[in-house]
Amino acid sequence: MEQTIVDFVKVLRTAEVKVSPAETLDVMAAIEFVGYEDRALFKNTLSMLLAKNPEEKDTFETCFEKFFTFDDVMQAPVTGGSSDDAQDSDAFEDENSGDNPQGQPGGKGSGQGSGNASEAADAEASDEETPSPTSALGQLLLQGTRSDLMVSMAEAGRAVEVNQIVVFTQKGLYTRKIMDQMGLKGLQEEITERQETADRGEQRLAGKLKRARDQLRDQVRDYVEKQFFLHADEHGKQLREELLKKVKLSNLEKRNHKDVQEIVFKMAKKLVSIHSKRRKTHKRGQLDIRKTLRHNMQYDGVFFDLKWKSVKVDRPKVMCICDVSGSVSNYSRFLLMFLYSLAEIIPKVRSFAFSSDLGEVTRLFQSSNLEDAMAKTMRDYGNGSTDYGQMLEDFKRNCMDDVDNKTTIIILGDARNNHGDPKAEILREMYEKSKRIIWLNPEPRSNWLVGDAEMKKYGPNCHQTEVCNSLTHLERVVSNLLKYAA
Amino acid sequence: MTLDRDEHLATIEAIHTGLAGLNYISNEQIATAVFLAYHLDKPVLIEGPPGVGKTELAKSVANMLGITCIRLQCYEGLDESKAIYEWKYGKQLLYTQVLKETLGEILDGAQGLTESVAKLHEFGDVFFSEEFLEPRPLMKALKEEAGCVLLIDEVDKSDHEFESLLLEMLSDYQLSIPEIGTIKANPDRKPLVFLTSNNTREISDALKRRCLHLYIPFPDADLESQIVQARVPEVPEELRRQLVTFIQALREMDLKKVPAISETIDWAKALILLHTESLDAELVKQTLNVILKFQEDIESVSGEVQMLTNKALKGS
Repeated sequence: MEQTIVDFVKVLRTAEVKVSPAETLDVMAAIEFVGYEDRALFKNTLSMLLAKNPEEKDTFETCFEKFFTFDDVMQAPVTGGSSDDAQDSDAFEDENSGDNPQGQPGGKGSGQGSGNASEAADAEASDEETPSPTSALGQLLLQGTRSDLMVSMAEAGRAVEVNQIVVFTQKGLYTRKIMDQMGLKGLQEEITERQETADRGEQRLAGKLKRARDQLRDQVRDYVEKQFFLHADEHGKQLREELLKKVKLSNLEKRNHKDVQEIVFKMAKKLVSIHSKRRKTHKRGQLDIRKTLRHNMQYDGVFFDLKWKSVKVDRPKVMCICDVSGSVSNYSRFLLMFLYSLAEIIPKVRSFAFSSDLGEVTRLFQSSNLEDAMAKTMRDYGNGSTDYGQMLEDFKRNCMDDVDNKTTIIILGDARNNHGDPKAEILREMYEKSKRIIWLNPEPRSNWLVGDAEMKKYGPNCHQTEVCNSLTHLERVVSNLLKYAA
Repeated sequence: MTLDRDEHLATIEAIHTGLAGLNYISNEQIATAVFLAYHLDKPVLIEGPPGVGKTELAKSVANMLGITCIRLQCYEGLDESKAIYEWKYGKQLLYTQVLKETLGEILDGAQGLTESVAKLHEFGDVFFSEEFLEPRPLMKALKEEAGCVLLIDEVDKSDHEFESLLLEMLSDYQLSIPEIGTIKANPDRKPLVFLTSNNTREISDALKRRCLHLYIPFPDADLESQIVQARVPEVPEELRRQLVTFIQALREMDLKKVPAISETIDWAKALILLHTESLDAELVKQTLNVILKFQEDIESVSGEVQMLTNKALKGS
């Protein structure tokens, strides 16, 4: 059973539940007390020791159900229910054969008959010097209980290391491997051999074996499927995530949006946990006389523990101006998604969208979900040719008063102004007033000065200009944003 | 006493009934957590939305076992001098003043600085002994011979540094004081430790690793009804079912702060004071401020009150 627990922990780990070896040991110790008999108790215990936040509890729930239900079948000889099951199916078979005794040409004989037949086959097999494993699988299929079959399947699975499965295309391969391990080759030979003989009984047996084999294949496929979900699903997901993080956001297809959203949330969560620790600068700054007096009263007023006025780190105040014209809209979508996922640590985000006229969309994003908000934004602001000059002018008119030395302004756009007036002097003004201006440009740096791009004029008026066209870039930018604020 | 404690914690059912006797209705998970905490000597980290009875659990367990409950309320800036121990500086100073004379006698005849210091050393560190130590909650809990329940409330409110401070205490039930040495809990009667968190921030992995993790969600209708019955037995059954249905429906809505169990209980008490037999829309509207704590929520709900009340009445 220890091995089972270890396996289960492994499954949890692939499902992104962090489990330390110490916790595994704790589980072993706890099981001493609670035992395995009471399933609910067992589950509660494991849940308490292994899954340590609400999300992990959810994951744990599904993993536990998948993993231990399967185990029940595997240990069929021990548990009453499953062996009953096996008997049931036997009974079913008998019934079946009783119903159509002279049905199809390959119809099954009675249970008793089949036993005899395969025994006879056995004898013949040894006569014909077929290798012994041949009948081993055949025997197992025809005579063994279902649980025996399950056990042998699981053993074969372990032998071919089915838990190393990574992507779904490997399912076929592993099914085949397990079948081979169980002695498919021998069975195959036996079937062909029997079919070639003229004896009717032989042929009937061959047909029976064939059907049993097909059934077995289905079962094995099922088994591999389950293993895949347990072991590889997450693995494959990780692979996909890594890929999605690096791919250019404009190349993302619609069907990936959901995945990407998930990744963004995950990344945001990471950033939250890194930056939520508000640092205070101790042992520096001004002497806090009040606090020092109060604190040193317990030492009879002798000042030997000085208190300093500590500086609390401000949360950054972010204004985000996004170009939502066709070419850049995808980037804007994910930048906004990122920023709003960070609401916990940057509560004050104001967002604006423009293609020519600037409009504030802060409320929209706060009140409705991302997809709707984005769609509405696109509808309201997405049309029209980009005009950065107009955008800056609008910004100056409406929002310049709100910009102070704590504000960070992020502008996302390709700076392609259709040869209009760039009005870089307004950006200059913003530059002087704000704490930081970051310009994110999805185009590679070499294209920044080509054609109608105005980065040459805008660039010097920004504190920082960055190429930004994948999630990894986005993450870096946002992380930087938080770091500098600290 | 000893027997009592073991008996109460022997099985999960015993814990169930024991807590129920104190009007704390537990579910399977809660009872299992207490059971494991006792048998594995592990602290329990309780998380969940505010008002589901996290703190209450610790208090009820202490009550059930008849041992003291030592509570440490966490807040930003809590440090070891408030949580573990502090030297009684004033007393130390006073004693040195008083003993000045004696010191003179002791040092009498000693020649030179080295000799005096050597003489002083013979008396050891009198001023840094337990006499001059002011124990704070954590240390008090360790010194409790008969065992106790230690409740560290709202850990998430404290600083990261404080969490690390707790680690030694939580994994080994001991604390190290440089001047004295290590103070250990009575090995047979280790304190039962409960930590609660409202999840305002993630607790560090190191701390989580050492704890059993218990998540208490909002209860389902059945459990909530039982809780109300236990806490406010005066409520007639009919009304109880109505108000539980109403609250459950509220939790489905998109509110800033959904009502917790404590609000349900408050509301039940309020309704009893108003001699209510059955819910009606007007009354609900007037008492809405008992269960909802934001004006925004009250406004958004008051439009739906009629509908919700009807539903609650029909459901019962």
